[in-house]
Amino acid sequence: MLNIYKRFWQVNWAEQWQYRANLMMYLAYGLVSPITYLAVWSAIADAQGNVNGLTSANFAAYYLTLLPVDILTTCITIYYLAYKIQDGTLSNELLQPVHPILTNTLVNNLAFKILQTMIFVPIWIALVLLFRPTFTYTWQSLLLSAPAIGMGFFIRFLLESTLTLIAFWTTRVWAIYHFDTAVSMLLNGAFVPLVLLPAWAQTMAHLLPYQLTLSFPILLLLNQLPLEQILLNYGLQVFWLIVLYGLFNFVWRQAIKQFSAVGA
Amino acid sequence: MHIIRVLVALFKINIQQELAYRVDTVVNILTSIMWLAWELLGLGIIFSNTNNIAGWRLGDVLALLGVFKIVNAYMQAIAWPNTETFNQGIHEGTLDYTFLLPVSSQFMVSFSRIVIWNVWNILLGIVLIVIGLFSAGNAPPSWINTFTFLVLIVSGALVIYSLWIVLITLTFWFTKFDNNVTLLQALMDTGRYPSVVYPVWLRVIVTFVIPIAVATTVPLQALRGELTWWQIALAILVSIVAVFLSARFWKAGIKRYSGASA
Amino acid sequence: MSNPFPIIVENLSKTYQVTDREGGFAASVRGFFKRKYQDVKAVQNVSFRIGAGEIVGFLGPNGAGKTTTLKMLSGLLHPTSGTANVLGYTPWHRSNDYLRSITLVMGQRNRLSWDIPAADSFLLNQAIYRVSDADYRKTFEELDQLLELGPIIRKPVRNLSLGERMKCELAASLLHRPSVLFLDEPTIGLDIGAQARIRSFLKEYNQRRGATIILTSHYMADVTALCERIIIIHEGQLKYDGRLTDLSRRIAPYKLIGVVLKECEACDLSQYGTLMPSEVEGKILLKVKAEETPSIAARLLAEQAVQDLTIEDPPIEDVIGRAFSDARTFAQS
Repeated sequence: MLNIYKRFWQVNWAEQWQYRANLMMYLAYGLVSPITYLAVWSAIADAQGNVNGLTSANFAAYYLTLLPVDILTTCITIYYLAYKIQDGTLSNELLQPVHPILTNTLVNNLAFKILQTMIFVPIWIALVLLFRPTFTYTWQSLLLSAPAIGMGFFIRFLLESTLTLIAFWTTRVWAIYHFDTAVSMLLNGAFVPLVLLPAWAQTMAHLLPYQLTLSFPILLLLNQLPLEQILLNYGLQVFWLIVLYGLFNFVWRQAIKQFSAVGA
Repeated sequence: MHIIRVLVALFKINIQQELAYRVDTVVNILTSIMWLAWELLGLGIIFSNTNNIAGWRLGDVLALLGVFKIVNAYMQAIAWPNTETFNQGIHEGTLDYTFLLPVSSQFMVSFSRIVIWNVWNILLGIVLIVIGLFSAGNAPPSWINTFTFLVLIVSGALVIYSLWIVLITLTFWFTKFDNNVTLLQALMDTGRYPSVVYPVWLRVIVTFVIPIAVATTVPLQALRGELTWWQIALAILVSIVAVFLSARFWKAGIKRYSGASA
Repeated sequence: MSNPFPIIVENLSKTYQVTDREGGFAASVRGFFKRKYQDVKAVQNVSFRIGAGEIVGFLGPNGAGKTTTLKMLSGLLHPTSGTANVLGYTPWHRSNDYLRSITLVMGQRNRLSWDIPAADSFLLNQAIYRVSDADYRKTFEELDQLLELGPIIRKPVRNLSLGERMKCELAASLLHRPSVLFLDEPTIGLDIGAQARIRSFLKEYNQRRGATIILTSHYMADVTALCERIIIIHEGQLKYDGRLTDLSRRIAPYKLIGVVLKECEACDLSQYGTLMPSEVEGKILLKVKAEETPSIAARLLAEQAVQDLTIEDPPIEDVIGRAFSDARTFAQS
């Protein structure tokens, strides 16, 4: 089994390396939103001292922590898979005796991630020097956040891969993806730290898994969560992983049925 | 003129295309409304914590968002679809057919696809501008200001267009450059918010190095009557120079593609 | 008076530079710092003249330089050296008037937009090529009739079969009545019936309009049906320029005698010629030298109980195949 992963790794890494120019562009694009929000909130915080207790240095710390966490948890499945489902090239992979998504697509994501991280490190250092945040990391927070980030990635992976499977039934999958993106950006802490959201939004954010992929690891890294919160969120991550894995498998089986009934 | 006749024919084809896929058009419009709601919600959250962003009130920010929507409609309706067609054309070799046509290749590469439903985004943009100006307590703009505004929207779009041509032309040298236009969109997206909020280095980039601010902030200032004639003339001059230089670069790109010596 | 030779090519050459890339990790790191280039001589000193209304076949193995030559003649590529004059123009100057008088069809690549009906693409072409409404109507009716287009032009191109798509591609490329046609494998991938229809269309079009046509194809049926004259290009060089029939006489100077004997199960006719595998039950194929054919045939009729005797030319694929593979055969003449 490990051999299979190794083989997929070689192919996907070579492929991602070829597209490294693309990757840099994608990275540049991913920087814009957080930097924009950081600029906006910092401007407000500077003008009135702080926003709900957060100074511009705090905002800088938040968004500059968000960038690496986002890169580590982001999922590119839909870009890779939706077209393959729609133009039928997925049939080749379905013939293989392994689960195409849990192997090829997963490894594709990981190769992309590692390459992006490599390119991102110097950029991040430059941004830190430019924005001068007050980081509140500790050794414990760094250690504790590693599994949180790992699970956060898998939650996002399962969620988005399940969503991508909708492509088996409709071409409107992109519209659904847009809707999911809009909701997640609001409720996972990408737009603004969750504490600044109105109360109803904060409740929704804690009921849904989105914040477990971004806000939770960020706050954990910044050492801003009391122990009960850390344990609670860990528990929630495990809970959602189980639920989403079940959902993913269910949808996958339906997709296969749909595929064999309708054909490529 | 011949080019106008071709443009009209292209419009016809693209409209027919749009009408053939009605459900997609409706879905697109609904998605666009959803994103607008998202942006307004975002602004609501921001302005529940303050009453101005670096001196810009909610109405000002709304108006800027409206201008952004109009200029971004060019990206969505024309730049991105033609980028896709161009990249595909290079990969599959069908770009050759474009070069066989007795019409400017730059024109065909730039405008063969026009995604019509984005007119909706232009309408939304206009509504936002009107609401924004009104709620910020500005007087309704005079005819001259409105006219200047329209002129500067067009000249700003021409600057963005020229940047797009430069990025597309680079593909002739760097063949695996599929996401070339992503960088442009990334910089464009900074135009959603007033450039004063950005740190100096970013502000310099989007105003002078890659003049995106020309496309969004400047037209809005014209609408509010805040520009001098010199500034207006300068903005127009920038766009003329940009179009000229980018066209030259495109010609160099074709020379390379067809193997002409230097 | 118009030039009797619409296409004049002299010493046309095209050399590419390709990066010399070895596989493996170490090689790619080395390649990052120092690029090694290799010259690929795609076309070397090719010269020919084509008269008005001729249909000439360009033949050659894949990668021989045929497509590159066609691209230079249609103005898509600049040559490294040499000249070409088509209808009085230098193709790679790409004047709009020139582009309006030629057309290039690449069988492997589609010019029509995928999602819209062909009819709409036609109208766009009309605008681009500045065809008047009257001319367009006339030309369209003619093409509609010759190609039997019918209702397929109203369907989105992606819903058409390969044969239907090719008919539409041809129609689109001829709406502006070009006088010179460059066709690069126009029948590739089509079924036998579709191929035959395209062939008869091209023949008819050539007769009606007097258009000059250069055609490349790997299907011998295309060549034998349409081209009296062929030009063979091999490894970028022009190897043969002349009639198809002369070619067989030159490089495959043999004939096949097919004999059906009245009786005789295990008769050995090897004394008359080389025995060849025969596809027909009971028919014996003998390969004999062209000049000896009459005498051997006479001997067979006299000495054997012959029920049926036929004399056949060598199969054209054989001739062309030889031409491609054996450069020495050309050195002989």
